[in-house]
Amino acid sequence: MSFREKSAWISFVLIFIFGAMWLRNVIRVEFFGLHQDPMKFFFVILVGLVAAEIGLHIAIAIQSPREARTPKDERERLIDLKASRIAFYVLTVGALASIGTLHLPDSNRFMMAQAMMGSIIIATLTRFAVQIALYRRDA
Amino acid sequence: MPKAIVNNIRRLRFDHKEMTQQELADKIGVTRQTVNAIEANKYSPSLEVAFRISEVFGVPLDQVFQYEAAKR
Repeated sequence: MSFREKSAWISFVLIFIFGAMWLRNVIRVEFFGLHQDPMKFFFVILVGLVAAEIGLHIAIAIQSPREARTPKDERERLIDLKASRIAFYVLTVGALASIGTLHLPDSNRFMMAQAMMGSIIIATLTRFAVQIALYRRDA
Repeated sequence: MPKAIVNNIRRLRFDHKEMTQQELADKIGVTRQTVNAIEANKYSPSLEVAFRISEVFGVPLDQVFQYEAAKR
């Protein structure tokens, strides 16, 4: 497995875990009335995500330092572009759907903001999933 | 559906002292995975990379890459 593919896997798994924790907290606050500051929890897990990303990327860079130093070549840049294009469509649909939540009964700005956040997480997961699929297909 | 562009890179590597994919990748400035994808006809390189490959092997471009439609 190449360094770039490992990097995509790490980001995908970490963002999936981050997204699951964030979603669980939003559901608890929104539907079960848990009195907890959702933004404080969000920033705590965000810092954890960034720290884990840095730590694991350092670990794989130590494993294959040569690949880590090599800049992305044309095929890898193309894979990035294809993945970003598909993720952009997911983000656009998610953003429009988030605005649509304002028309739901009992909607509020918190719900819309969380829907936006959810869209960003799903779009990011899509980006890394497409990258992994394209790296696997060409392997 | 078969790829329209095929290549002889594997044979050319063999003819050049069994050059490894990594050695070729280093000479043309791409990753080993990209050389592997090109060899397997899963990725068609840019014209610039194609010329660099033909330069490494010292052969004209049409001895490295062929367009399948031209064969039919």
